Amino acid sequence: MSLTITCPICGQRNGYEFRFGGEERGPRPDEEDLTHEQWCDYVHMRTNIGGIQREWWYHRDGCGSWFTIRRDTLTNLEVEGPEET
Amino acid sequence: MTPRLKDLPTLRINPATKLSLTYRGRRYGGMAGDTIATALHANGIRIFSRSLKYHRPRGLYSLDGESSNCLMEVDGVPNVRSAVTQLQDGMIVKPQNVVGTPEHDFMSFVDKLDRFLPAGFYYHYFHRPYKLWPFFQNRLRNAAGLGRLNPSFRMKGHFDEIYPSTDVCVIGAGPAGMHAALAAGDQGLRVILLEARPWPGGFFDYRSAEYSHDIPLHKRARQLADKIGERENIRFFPNTNMIGFYAKNLITAFQVGKESDPFDERYIEIRAESVVVATGCIERPMIFDHNERPGVMQVNCAHRLARTYGLLPGKRAVFSVGDDLGVEAAIDLSDLGLNVLCVADARFDGQASSLLEGLEKRNILFLRGWAVSKSHGNKTLKKATLCNIDGMMSRDFTCDVLVTSAGLTPAAGPLFLAKAKMSYDYFTNFFLPEALPPKVHVAGRLLGLMDSLSIEVSGRLAGLSAAADCGAPVQNHLRDAREEMEQLPGPARGSKLVQAPGSGRKRFICFDEDVTIKNIYQACDMGFDNVELVKRFSTAGLGPGQGNIPGHNLPMILAQYLQKYGDSSTTILPTTIRPPLVPTSLATYAGKCPDPVKRTPLHETMEKTPGAVFRRVGPLKRVRYFSNDFTCRKEIENVRNNVGIIDVSTLGKFRIFGPEALKALQRVYVGDMSNISEGKVKYSAMCNEDGCLIDDGVVIKRGDNDYYFTSSTNRADSTVEWIRYHSRHEPWNFCMVNLTDAFGAVNLAGPRSRDVLGMIADKDLSNESFPYAGYREFKIKGGVPIRAMRLGFVGELSYELHVPASYMRTVWDLLLEAGKPFDIMPFGLEAQNVLRLEKGHVIIGQETEIRTTLHDLGLEFLWHREKSLYKTVGAPALSFTEHQEGRMKLVGFKMEDPSRPPKDGSVIVDTRIRGHVCTARYSFTLGESIGLALVHSDLADIGTCLEIFEDNMDEKRLYATVVPTPFYDPEGKRLRM
Ligand SMILES: [Zn+2]
Repeated sequence: MSLTITCPICGQRNGYEFRFGGEERGPRPDEEDLTHEQWCDYVHMRTNIGGIQREWWYHRDGCGSWFTIRRDTLTNLEVEGPEET
Repeated sequence: MTPRLKDLPTLRINPATKLSLTYRGRRYGGMAGDTIATALHANGIRIFSRSLKYHRPRGLYSLDGESSNCLMEVDGVPNVRSAVTQLQDGMIVKPQNVVGTPEHDFMSFVDKLDRFLPAGFYYHYFHRPYKLWPFFQNRLRNAAGLGRLNPSFRMKGHFDEIYPSTDVCVIGAGPAGMHAALAAGDQGLRVILLEARPWPGGFFDYRSAEYSHDIPLHKRARQLADKIGERENIRFFPNTNMIGFYAKNLITAFQVGKESDPFDERYIEIRAESVVVATGCIERPMIFDHNERPGVMQVNCAHRLARTYGLLPGKRAVFSVGDDLGVEAAIDLSDLGLNVLCVADARFDGQASSLLEGLEKRNILFLRGWAVSKSHGNKTLKKATLCNIDGMMSRDFTCDVLVTSAGLTPAAGPLFLAKAKMSYDYFTNFFLPEALPPKVHVAGRLLGLMDSLSIEVSGRLAGLSAAADCGAPVQNHLRDAREEMEQLPGPARGSKLVQAPGSGRKRFICFDEDVTIKNIYQACDMGFDNVELVKRFSTAGLGPGQGNIPGHNLPMILAQYLQKYGDSSTTILPTTIRPPLVPTSLATYAGKCPDPVKRTPLHETMEKTPGAVFRRVGPLKRVRYFSNDFTCRKEIENVRNNVGIIDVSTLGKFRIFGPEALKALQRVYVGDMSNISEGKVKYSAMCNEDGCLIDDGVVIKRGDNDYYFTSSTNRADSTVEWIRYHSRHEPWNFCMVNLTDAFGAVNLAGPRSRDVLGMIADKDLSNESFPYAGYREFKIKGGVPIRAMRLGFVGELSYELHVPASYMRTVWDLLLEAGKPFDIMPFGLEAQNVLRLEKGHVIIGQETEIRTTLHDLGLEFLWHREKSLYKTVGAPALSFTEHQEGRMKLVGFKMEDPSRPPKDGSVIVDTRIRGHVCTARYSFTLGESIGLALVHSDLADIGTCLEIFEDNMDEKRLYATVVPTPFYDPEGKRLRM
């Protein structure tokens, strides 16, 4: 796998060692006044952008942490540096 | 067998080790170091195969396996590249694509029909009337394809895989690659050096030309190879083809094992900080009439046959070449005893003067500005016609070998794959790298360099640049190497000739697919005037040679044709190159296919237990039965009446602790974890965000902020990940330890289990002091620490005992010994399955599917609604789906015919499918056939009749009635005994 991922604890490692955890969508919404639609949107819908996204990875064959990286989905390369706003 | 040349310092064969092979039923001799092709050649075999479309005879053309000519069936494996496959004793070799014999092929008449098979003929014909297409499709499919695989064939051999990482990876161990490896290695970096041939040396290896005073090139190659061998930080992979080049310098390759290697082939995936590509050149075929007749071969093929394998390519040879390497080979082969009649050189000037003197000294006829235009012969070569470039003069030579190539072409595949920007250079006539990706470097002949010293220094320069990528302090060395490079000859002029004068119909640009120059022109005339379109329409370059034969000629021919008849501004563009660069067998990609088995701490004990029948459960091996009676009647009845014992070590076991451990538990468990009392087990479940059940288990509070909990077997590996995932946005302070392998577990179950445990435990086990759902920690005989919980999965008084894994065998033996007076017997998974079914307990994955919620299973009592603060995973979905209509519900059923349970997985039907049977068994305890099924909610009411359809039942049905569960001991008295 050509993808490499930088774990905050273990450093840059081969993509085989990790499990994908989906794009970052923020913490779960509060349950109070939650509608079906909001719920469904949070659990099932994805932005699926072509470009740079922040996403979760789990270091399964390593330290066992969940963390986010930024990856360009068009090149399948991790993007370094701070987030542009 | 042809006698071999002796005493050449370049030989790579060992005549002392005789090998043999069987070809078409006859045994032939070969020797260690031979490839299959050289051994066949040594035995006078010249026709190796028949071509795909026209069934033309084909023979040895290249020793690097670029064309399908040398594809043969070896030991049942089709499409083996015989030119690059080392001969092994006893190989059985068969020619391919032959109807009859290679010499007399019944399909060879097709060769005469080429007028009717223009480019893309299968798109044109056979479609009108369309009704006939399926007939022709079938015919074409039978004719198409190379090699035949016996459907019952099983690939033998050991296929391995490795994933090394390195500082510098050098592709190609010729002079440039070896220098690059040494330069990087001198900096103390880890270097991986890949070479497709069995030895390093590249195009120095077989040449006797002078490198420097008194040192021939082959000697120089061995000097460098020795240095490589001495460096411990250079890992050399011979017989290794690079096949892929991906982002972040991920290089894939495969290595063919030598006899001393523990593998036949292995897949290699290398991650390198920096890469040097030094793959050198291959030869660009000369195109003329019948340019692929057996007897026609490339320059380095003829040269290496003699120098490496001790075989003269023939008796009377004609050379038609385009560069100095060709002239050099002619002189060298003449010295080795080949009768060289003539050397035609397509160039008018530019030959090294020493070579011209050499030809003169040997009285070899030299034709400047001439090239071969036609080969003659019935099957193999008998005569060659040479003519001058403008086609005005011609001469015939009777010969049995024609050594020819139009020039060189860089083996730039790795650079294309690396997404280097490549452009055509009209001086070298090479595709040269214009811009390279970061941390990729190029050296040697790929840059158009032909001078030995230039090649070596360019290698050093690339190696130093790669070392700089890895942070080595090499600035001074780099500057020196650059200065040195400037003093040396730069890229050499390359030939742009593709085809000799003439316009015959049998000028093949692609051997694999039998594509001629005519076919290319036809495709152009039909409007396919772009190299990618021509390639697809004519199929040139789509064969197993991965486009190496036409790869360079096709763009050149096309540009020439289009400049003449179409757009005069047409430039030479390459076709897209894709991995794998070299044909790779699927077995190599599959690699080891490791299938690791996980054993419980009681595995050896189980193996020694009479009657144990194991079964794979995911990665685990567990005992399913303890006798050949697969109904498990004795095992079941003994649990109900006396006492049984089962190994349940595969359960997931975890510790979670820390100030915020409770919050994490509240997040993932549907129950309320805040009120677990000391000495009690709390049974609860985990759902996913959709409210579907994924796991159940017990939680025990062992101290302040310190919990021990279990998961089902198949969640043992994913629970830590799950809990961390669902708390990933929280700054909670807690730790988790997966104790699954640290602890084993047994379930001691049955009315006599208290008596058995009492024999070895110095502890009051009475119902009052250790009641149902209780948890106790104590020591048993010998001081073994035990975590004991009273659970009721199988519906009887029982003790689940968790024990440090290393004590498990002791505890098992102690319990069996203590249980003897009470008729203790081990029971397996199937008995447990029936016992829990009678009790109506679900197994996740068996009674649930991906959509099954807590409510669907009737387990809603586990859900604690008043903890929305903790954002429990699945809780919103549970409230949304709680009253949803039309869901599948889990029900218990009894069969109308008590002796006939349906098979698991049978479907419940009325006019359509309405559900399925999860588990059904005959219950000896109840004397009835019972089961659990997931059915549509309108069939879930007690008393509903279910119609069950089993496999291959046609019109017949089985009938059952929905009944309440548990089937056995509904009041739960027995587990509270
Ligand atoms: Zn890590």
